[in-house]
Amino acid sequence: MRHRILASVGMPLIVAGLLAAAPAAAQVAAAAQVPAAKAAAAKKWRTPWGDPDLQGSWSNTNIAPLERPAKWAGREFMTEQERAEEEKKRARSEGGSFYDSSWTDGRTSLIYDPPDGRMPAPTPEGKKRQAALKAAFDRARNNGPYDGPEDMEIRTRCIIRDALPRIPATYGNSYEIVQSPGSVAIYHEAIHETRVIPIDRPIDRRPHLNAGVRQWFGDPRGHWEGDTLVVETTNFNDETAFQGSTKNLLLVERWRRAAADRIDYTFTVSDPETWTKPWSASIPWHSAGQLFEYACHEDNIDMYGILTGARADDKKAAEAAKKGTK
Amino acid sequence: MTTPLRILRAGIAWAFPLAVFSLVAIPAVAQTSAAAYKAPRLLGTPNPNLNGLWQAINEGNWDLQVHAAQPGPPQFGALYAQPPGPGIVEGNEIPYQPWALAKKKENFEKRFVRVKYDAFREIPLDPEAKCYLPGVPRATYMPFPFQIVQGNKKIVIAYEFAGASRIIPLEKVGEAPVDSYMGWSAGRWEGDTLVVDVTGFNDRTWFDRAGNFHSDALHVVERYTPASPDVIRYEATIEDSKVFTRPWKISFPLYRRLDKDALFMEFKCVPFSEELIYGHLRKQAGK
Repeated sequence: MRHRILASVGMPLIVAGLLAAAPAAAQVAAAAQVPAAKAAAAKKWRTPWGDPDLQGSWSNTNIAPLERPAKWAGREFMTEQERAEEEKKRARSEGGSFYDSSWTDGRTSLIYDPPDGRMPAPTPEGKKRQAALKAAFDRARNNGPYDGPEDMEIRTRCIIRDALPRIPATYGNSYEIVQSPGSVAIYHEAIHETRVIPIDRPIDRRPHLNAGVRQWFGDPRGHWEGDTLVVETTNFNDETAFQGSTKNLLLVERWRRAAADRIDYTFTVSDPETWTKPWSASIPWHSAGQLFEYACHEDNIDMYGILTGARADDKKAAEAAKKGTK
Repeated sequence: MTTPLRILRAGIAWAFPLAVFSLVAIPAVAQTSAAAYKAPRLLGTPNPNLNGLWQAINEGNWDLQVHAAQPGPPQFGALYAQPPGPGIVEGNEIPYQPWALAKKKENFEKRFVRVKYDAFREIPLDPEAKCYLPGVPRATYMPFPFQIVQGNKKIVIAYEFAGASRIIPLEKVGEAPVDSYMGWSAGRWEGDTLVVDVTGFNDRTWFDRAGNFHSDALHVVERYTPASPDVIRYEATIEDSKVFTRPWKISFPLYRRLDKDALFMEFKCVPFSEELIYGHLRKQAGK
C-alpha cells in the first residue's frame, strides 16, 4: 500500500518539475506546424479524464497496395478521377458489394517512406530469409506436404490472423478501441484477441519484457505525445515474421484522431537484420459498424479436411506402390 | 472535477475506520463492507473505476461444485491432479433436468475420448483442452488473469486464455444478431455495480472440467461490485430453460493482481491443442 501511495502522489510531484521544460517545448514546435483548424478539431476529442479520445469501431480497409505499382511511379496520390476509377474497379473485381473494401484516401501505396513507396532493399540475409519464408508459405498454401498440423501456415491454423502491424486484408479489418486512464485496448475482430497496451508517461515507462519472452503480438508500451498515441512493440516471436522480418522487429505505431469518422494511423518498422533502413506506411482508420465474434479455431474444418485428404493420398500411394511391386 | 488527490484522501478516509473497525468485528465487516465501500470513480464519470488486471482464486474451473482432490494422469505424478474446492455455486446444487444430468456425466466420461463432434470431425469433447473460446461466466474463473479496460462508453474485458475478449457497450443494445461463444453483452450501472446481461450463446462451451454444460438458451446476468481497492465481488445468475429447472447462481471474489510486474500476457493455446485434435491425422512413419 505504501508503494502505491508513493507512486500516485510522490512521483507526479517530483516528475512534474523534471518534465515541465522538454515536452512543453516539443508541443509548441509541433503545434506551430499543425493548422489551427486541425488543432481545434483535436481538442474536441477528449475522454472525460482528459486523454485524446480514439474510442469507437474502426476499419482499416484500404484498396491501396502496400507497395507502389510501377504505373504510379513518382506519385504519392491519385487525382479524384483516378481514385473513383480505382474504387469502381475494385468493387467490380469483388462482384459488386462484396466486402465493402473499396475505401481509399487516394494513396498510390500504403508505404510513404521511402518516398518511392516501396520497401527498402533487404539485407542479403533478409533476402534469403524472405525467399525461404515465401517458399514455406507457398508449400503450406498450395502443395504440401501436409504431414501434420505444423505444415499449415498460421492463418490456416487459426493461431493469429496476421502479424503486427496490420495491413488491410480482403475482409475482417475491423477494430474496436476502448480507453481507460492507464491502458488502451485494441480489439481485433479477426481473430477475437485484444491488444492491452499499458500507457505510461515516458519518464516512468515500464521496461519491455525480458528479451527471452516472445509473444505473437509482442510486448507493447504506449504513451501520449500531444494528441497522438505512440505505441512501441518488441518481443515478437520467430513465426510472426512481418513481411519476412526477424523476431527483433521494432514496431512504432501512431494513432491520432483526425475527425469524427477518422483516425490517422502510421507505423514505422525497423529490423536491421531484414531491411537496410526503417520504413513507414500510412493506413487511415475510418468508422466501422458493429463488430462480431470471429471464432476461427473452433470450427476449423479446413485443417481437419486437409490432413484427412493427405492421409487418404498416402493410402492411395501406398496401395499403388504395392501393386507396382507385385 | 475530481482530482486524484481527493480520491486518495477519500480512500484513506475510508480505509482508516474500516481497519480499526475490522479489529473488533470481523464477521460484521465481511458482511457489510461491500455495501459500505465507496470505490474511487473513473475520473470525470459518476461510475466506480474497475480498471486493472484481475483474477479469481478458486477451483471452480475444475468443478463448480464442492469436490475432493482427485488424481491426475498417473504418468505425471502429482502434477495436473485436481485440487479440492468448496465450490462456487450458491447452495451447491445445480438444478439439472434429469436428461441433462446424465449428459453432464457423459461429458465428463468422454472428455478426452475421440467421439463424433460434428458432421466432419471426431475429437474429444472437453472444450478447454481444445483451446476453444471459454464462454461466460467461465472465462472469469479460469486460472488466468484478465484485464478490464473501462471506458466511458464501452468496456473491454480481455482474457489471457485463448485470447478471448468481450466488448460490453454501456447502453441498450438490440437482440443478439447471431450466437457466439462469448455471448452478446449489454452493460449498465446499478449504483456501484456493473451489471452485464449476456445472451446469444451457442451450446458449445462448458462451465468447468467436470462436464457442467448449458444449451443455446443460456442467459447470464453478471454483477461486478467493488468491495475494496483490490477486490470485486462477482456474481452470475445462470438461466437455461432447456437444461435447468430454475435459475441458479455462482459467486466469488475477484482479486487485483498486485505483483510488482503484473502484466496482461498472451496464452494463445491453439498450437498446444493441435496434437489432441489432429494428432491421429499425422503421417505415420513408413506409411
